Amino acid sequence: MTQGNGMGSHTRTAGANGERPLLAPGIHGEAVPMRDWSRDEVDVCVVGAGAGGGVVGAKLAEAGFSVVILDAGPHWDPLHDFVSDETASHKLFWTEERVTGGKDPVELGSNNSGQGVGGSTVHYSMIAMRLHADDFRRRTLEGSIAGADLQDWPLTYEDLEPYYEEVEQALQIAGPVHYPWQKRRRRFPQREHQLNASANMLVRGCAALGIPVAAAPVATLSAPHRDRPPCVYRGFCNYGCSTNAKSSILVTYIPRAIRAGAEVRPNAMVARIEHDATGRATGVLHFRTGPSSGHNGSELFRQRAKAIIVAGYAIETPRLLLNSASPLFPNGLANSSGMVGRYFMIHAGHQTFAKFPERIGQYKAPPGLAITEHFNRTMPDVDFSCGYTVEVVGPHVGDFAGRMSAARNLWGSALRRAMFDYNYYSGLGIVGETLPRLDNRVKLHDTERDRYGLPVAHVLFGHHENDQRLIDHSIGKMTEILRAARGEDVWGVNRTAHLMGTCRMGSDPNASVVDADGRAHDVPNLFICDGSVFPTSGAVNPSLTIQAIAARTADRVQAAAARGEL
Amino acid sequence: MENPLRSPYPDYNVLDKWSSLDWDDQTRDAVSRRLFNVPEIRFFTESEKRTLEAVVERIVPQPDRRQDERIPIVPWIDEKLHGDRRDGYRYDGMPPQREAWRRGLAGIDDTSSAIFDGKGFADLDGPAQDEVLRRIEHGDPPGATWTTLPAGRFFTSVLCVSIVKTYYAHPSAWSEVGYNGPSSPRGHMRIWEDGVDPWEAHEPPDGPAMTASNKAGDAER
Repeated sequence: MTQGNGMGSHTRTAGANGERPLLAPGIHGEAVPMRDWSRDEVDVCVVGAGAGGGVVGAKLAEAGFSVVILDAGPHWDPLHDFVSDETASHKLFWTEERVTGGKDPVELGSNNSGQGVGGSTVHYSMIAMRLHADDFRRRTLEGSIAGADLQDWPLTYEDLEPYYEEVEQALQIAGPVHYPWQKRRRRFPQREHQLNASANMLVRGCAALGIPVAAAPVATLSAPHRDRPPCVYRGFCNYGCSTNAKSSILVTYIPRAIRAGAEVRPNAMVARIEHDATGRATGVLHFRTGPSSGHNGSELFRQRAKAIIVAGYAIETPRLLLNSASPLFPNGLANSSGMVGRYFMIHAGHQTFAKFPERIGQYKAPPGLAITEHFNRTMPDVDFSCGYTVEVVGPHVGDFAGRMSAARNLWGSALRRAMFDYNYYSGLGIVGETLPRLDNRVKLHDTERDRYGLPVAHVLFGHHENDQRLIDHSIGKMTEILRAARGEDVWGVNRTAHLMGTCRMGSDPNASVVDADGRAHDVPNLFICDGSVFPTSGAVNPSLTIQAIAARTADRVQAAAARGEL
Repeated sequence: MENPLRSPYPDYNVLDKWSSLDWDDQTRDAVSRRLFNVPEIRFFTESEKRTLEAVVERIVPQPDRRQDERIPIVPWIDEKLHGDRRDGYRYDGMPPQREAWRRGLAGIDDTSSAIFDGKGFADLDGPAQDEVLRRIEHGDPPGATWTTLPAGRFFTSVLCVSIVKTYYAHPSAWSEVGYNGPSSPRGHMRIWEDGVDPWEAHEPPDGPAMTASNKAGDAER
């Protein structure tokens, strides 16, 4: 058959319809031949080439499925596109308009949203942590909390454990031999990194207070691995790694996907998911831009697919489902429960800085090389449930100046003088669990449209009082640690990190959007595979869990295909 | 009397490393545009430009630099607005960025006029300008604009942060705070406490000395 290969049984003739294959950027500046699936009905179309989409797309391609992965942004050439400069790196972030509101509006853009192949992993801090067994059953452990809607996950830690191991191997996570908060686990694939001055500061402060502390597991190489070199501690991790040491999705799973016959289509903004009269998804309509596409974004293209996996992260995923409303699905695709966009969560991300007698140079090396999960549990003697992880942060000069100015209402000569001490500051930040609330949500904005005419996301967020108590507690602890490490002149800035919820997974179709396999309750051949499926936020950086879920989803899609359900 | 604006790193100029292993081609391209291709004003009106220049002088004053050495700020904010390059979000109640800037700058003159007898912001002296900006920062300024534009939000999340980040995006600002700046492909070796790679900013052993631009400023005075 010329189009519509059978699930998992397509023939790999190079170049669709006899045309020359496409070329994609390789990770060493070379051009890599790539299949062109644009005229075919593929087995699987993935929307979003980040932590979720890259992993699920690569695994399915390697399993023999025909796969297209679309991303709204460019396909980066890391050695040539990534700049050692904060300002010149804004291209890595989602800069299309969104409107943010509610009682505690969340800062978006560079704070938590990527655009381009690799998604946010291109600029994430690489802290690669697992959730704990307790995180999958918060409702059972905490009970019902008024004003929140804690749920157990339909997955257990044991379900995800092999997938955590799989992605830790694929990303070659570097971590300590002894990790205090996961006693029974295999060694990390690579040895821990040398700690920088900021990480030593956290170690010193914790040691003085008797708080356990450890080198953070991070997704950047501490030793050569295949065609990638170890980290040289240039410290621009949040602006794109220009040496390929960082194990982003861009340099790990994406090359695998292309090698296995997937097409990775950049600058492709998906406008809606189409379906047939029976309610099965049939493909996606997308706009194409960028020099390599030869299109200017004025016309819609159709990519037909037997199954669709949405992996746009917790704002763009619900936005796409809501923008895909139709007479059959008037409230948006996969939204008979009304839960699409609901339970939007972030992590509390308060940061606390202090000035030290030693020169720190917080711009050197990966920003988060040490952590303590000591407070990542419901503690017996406090007035709040759930907990937080304390990590080291390391903003470069522009971000640091912006944070200090805003936090201390500092400007004028006083700001310039305070900045003379930039090299002596070091800081801590938390990843704090926030409770899921129905009213925290992503919806379509009533009037605002993007450049394609699509309604933009309207993000509403307000903290539960439990979140606020947790934040207050963490400020006290971070201040104690900084002071114990000989820090002075302590100040803090209220921030958030990460995006989760909005398409929560669960077993009840009336109260969740997808099942434990990431499969939409309403649409049998539609899957969601990113941070939006989290029923609760946990208190660790979410990327590794998103990747583990994606690795599992790939297996579940394969199983469903084998059963003839796709 | 305020302490003078003397950098602790008087002998350090990040641009001395232009041809070193710290600066790859793409970084040189990006920073040379910032140094040598300062754009013309295309978005702001003459009066908006005058007001914003006066605001910039209060947020990041540069009395220690000759006029031709000062870090340009207004042209880069103007360029962002001319191209309407967004940040990826705006707060509920804030208009899109172009409108926010136009109305906010008008509001600064409104407040100035309300407090100081009809005078525009650029015509006030420094302490009076600071008073206007503090009132806006605190969110309770007089002036019709601010009934529909949240003053504190505009000051903190639009006005001040844009000026501060533009200032600290310039190599002259990197040099004065001892920031290493670009570092690809060389990276770093001495990442521990008090560790300073040979190519990083060093403080003179006997404390900060006078910078060349401070000396020039003193001579002028």
